[in-house]
Amino acid sequence: MSSISRQSIYILLLSTILLTFVLLFSFNALIPEGKEYRLQRVQLSKEYKDLKRYQEYDAQVYDELKKLQADHRHIITAFDTPFEKQRFVKKYKDVFKTLEITSLDNNSTEDGFSVYNVKTSSKISTPTTFYKFLDEINKSDWIVAVNFPIDFQRDGDMITSTFQMKVYSNSKDSNRSK
Amino acid sequence: MRYSYIKPRKKSLLTPEMKLLFAFFSMSIVMLMGTYVFLLYKDVMFIEDKKNIAEKKEILKKNIKDMEEKIAYIEQQNNTSAKIFTQNAVLKDSIKNLFDLVPQRITLSRAKLLENGLILYGITPNKDIYNFMLNAPLRSIFHKTYSSFYPADGGWLRFVSTNYMDDDEFANLKVDNMENKDE
Repeated sequence: MSSISRQSIYILLLSTILLTFVLLFSFNALIPEGKEYRLQRVQLSKEYKDLKRYQEYDAQVYDELKKLQADHRHIITAFDTPFEKQRFVKKYKDVFKTLEITSLDNNSTEDGFSVYNVKTSSKISTPTTFYKFLDEINKSDWIVAVNFPIDFQRDGDMITSTFQMKVYSNSKDSNRSK
Repeated sequence: MRYSYIKPRKKSLLTPEMKLLFAFFSMSIVMLMGTYVFLLYKDVMFIEDKKNIAEKKEILKKNIKDMEEKIAYIEQQNNTSAKIFTQNAVLKDSIKNLFDLVPQRITLSRAKLLENGLILYGITPNKDIYNFMLNAPLRSIFHKTYSSFYPADGGWLRFVSTNYMDDDEFANLKVDNMENKDE
């Protein structure tokens, strides 16, 4: 007993305390925290991959939207343009000898679009003029469908044509393309 | 009785060996605590990053949804306009065909195009010309054809030709016309 010095006893005691502390700290705090760190790192990596996928899809959808908007600019603008009788008459007065437009009250909704009905009376010299109008109407500033009944009546050297038109536009509650 | 002439050195607990030991122990504890604090800090950072990513994902999801709705709406606009343009083109062809159908010897005074029918007013030199040159082709197109004649000046006859299609046949024809135009 007398061969072990007091100092050696202190060292042994301190070493034991340190070892116990290291073991307890490692098993109770450091290792669980390390596991948590690894888990969080894996989850974060997955989240980053997921985010990247979303960003790529977002860019793809954006490109698709821009392409559609560029390809169908005329149609989108036509649906956005409110119908103006004076402007329509001014635009097509060269096609017809006379052109009169009367609004009808029976406005409706078709395929989710507002439909504005107008009655058109015009004088034409030959039916060819009417064919030209039907060709040009598809390139107009509005989406216009010429509708039945269509009445052609001889009036001297002229033909009086009476027909209805449906003007399609974005309905007020679905102006999403703006 | 004295055995030594020098004074005994006072013994201290902090011997150089003990100091070395404490330094070693302190370093070990600092390293352990440092590692632990680093892990805690990284965990907090990871949680923060995940929160930011989740927010970005939400914004992207909303953005994608908005754009998809816009795409669907433009496609709907495109389909509707294509349908209307085709209708106008079919109408033009129908009117053209109608006027091509009328022979030189018959003069129309009025033509009324209905959605499923056609009413023609005009004058003809006689019934035979009307029957062979206008009524026969009209009968091949329409299912119900009615004609009325009234005497006009110079022995000519005024006629009213009323022609209708059956609703089912008319619906089929409409679909066929639209398909042909689309092609």
